[in-house]
Amino acid sequence: MTNNRALNEIGRYALILLAVVIAMVPIAWMASMAFKPVEEWTMSAGELTWWPRNPTFGNFEYIFTGQTEAVIISLDRTAVGPVIASLVTALFGTVIAVTVGTLGAYAVSRFKVGGNLPLSVLQLRLFPPMAVMIPVMIMWTYLGMIDTWWGLSLIYGIVTLPFAFWLMMTFFDEVPREIEEAALVEGCSPWRAFYRVTLPMVKAPLATTCLFVFILNWSDFLIALLLTTKDWVTIPVFMNELFTAMTGPMYGAKAALGLIAAIPPVVFGIIIQKHLVRGLTFGALKQ
Amino acid sequence: MSAPATTAKDAAGAVDLAARGRKLGLLMTLPAQLLLVFIFAFPALMQIYISLTWWTPGDGTIWIYAYESFVWFDNYVELITSERLWEPIGRTMLILIVVVPVEFVIGFGLAVLFVDSFPGKRVFYSILLTPMMVVPAVAGYMFFMLFQSNGPINQILSLLTGTDVELVWLGDTTLAMIAVMIADIWQWTPLMFLILLAGILGVPEDQLKAATLLGANWGQKFWRIVLPRMRTVIIIAIVIRAVEAFKLFDVMYVMTKGGPGVATETISIYIYKLFKQLEWSYLAAVDLSILIALSVIAVIGMTLMAKAKQKRAGDVVD
Repeated sequence: MTNNRALNEIGRYALILLAVVIAMVPIAWMASMAFKPVEEWTMSAGELTWWPRNPTFGNFEYIFTGQTEAVIISLDRTAVGPVIASLVTALFGTVIAVTVGTLGAYAVSRFKVGGNLPLSVLQLRLFPPMAVMIPVMIMWTYLGMIDTWWGLSLIYGIVTLPFAFWLMMTFFDEVPREIEEAALVEGCSPWRAFYRVTLPMVKAPLATTCLFVFILNWSDFLIALLLTTKDWVTIPVFMNELFTAMTGPMYGAKAALGLIAAIPPVVFGIIIQKHLVRGLTFGALKQ
Repeated sequence: MSAPATTAKDAAGAVDLAARGRKLGLLMTLPAQLLLVFIFAFPALMQIYISLTWWTPGDGTIWIYAYESFVWFDNYVELITSERLWEPIGRTMLILIVVVPVEFVIGFGLAVLFVDSFPGKRVFYSILLTPMMVVPAVAGYMFFMLFQSNGPINQILSLLTGTDVELVWLGDTTLAMIAVMIADIWQWTPLMFLILLAGILGVPEDQLKAATLLGANWGQKFWRIVLPRMRTVIIIAIVIRAVEAFKLFDVMYVMTKGGPGVATETISIYIYKLFKQLEWSYLAAVDLSILIALSVIAVIGMTLMAKAKQKRAGDVVD
């Protein structure tokens, strides 16, 4: 019996370790590439190595200052703008989605209004953004919102609204309504009961929702690809252009930028791990 | 249990939150309603209108004057008869049919390994979830690097087989498809794992214990207790993954741009190309058709989800 058990344990660890290795290899390769000098980017220097032989910060220097000694061609545009663009648009997109979502979710959860709203919001998630891009493009052009931070933030806010709305709705459903009813008896207006009583109680869920929505906005590629052209190009779009604009693949520089893009969602994801299932299944499942 | 208590309280004349807040509630849902109208209603009408014409932004006229080239349903006839549209749809479906089951099986297998506690569980769990946190475009770039013909994948394969493997992954029609699928499986298996693990942990432990006492073996417990209890979770996981897989764009665009040729051109990539070629009126017809098809699927899916929720509520009671 014991022998069998030990064997089982070994088998479990072996499988999990295999999965861990597979999960980590692509990330490790990019991380290693980010610190490799130009000569080690490709096979031209001989062997491919998993560990940079001469680790350097040159790639980071290159994408942020536009030049580094080893690369002859200097960048005409650095990654500073795209990093700021990604931060600003993801942040304001989150503010829009969470504000609108929280208000709507509370109303639906408490006042039995809104009727079809939850399902209509959910439908928003189903449709490929690609399929509404013509009207969005026309509207955004007409409103002068192409390649602006508010234009991109607005569409981010709309696209991630379903997540904010549904997450907050399930969180509100968990708060007992007796407390608000008591507040109403005390003479509170419904708005004050929401703002002063319920909202402070869902501070932590609200923070979770913000991080969740931020990750989604930060991860976008397609929308920014279509709606930005120059000033407000985000990190993933800039990264993709780093390839076409140059004479050769800028492996190391792109990897450095990719590493920077990958870090915030991974960190935030770990912070809100407990609520990921709820967020991704629109509250249908909890952990 | 709590239901009778609340009714009694309502009857006792406590404040009715729903009635008091009705006006406020309507006001609070207003922003969401407006955004939905803004992104649904107006764009839908605009797309219907444009799809009945031959307008393109290349004409130099704005879309309002599209009626000048009114053609009725020509665009729709074209999209039904043209094979050009069905190919990317077929490819998208092929990807979906391959990756979703693979992700499901691996995700389920991993979830089973994580049911009971063992040292290091939390750390391994976090690490295994990492791939789905990576920005998809960046994940695409990772695999773009890995699948270079002189890249690490070929290096590993050479090591394993002992011969020089020099596959041109992204330049070969079949291999490119496989490469893209591997990237998708790498990134989204964690999602399946996450959802299915939550589902397995939701299976009542006392039932499993009772089964063990009655002498049920591992397989019996799995097929008779775990799987039936997880049916709704499984449906949710698969639906969510299938919906996202249908939209697949980022990874594909970064890795292959739909190439070589059109070998990995999914529906989203195809639409993107039409968009760039300014064939907007035809594209509007394509878009509307996709939206209608998806809406039909959505109605079915949502009914299932609502049922799932009801059933879960029922489970808690008994």
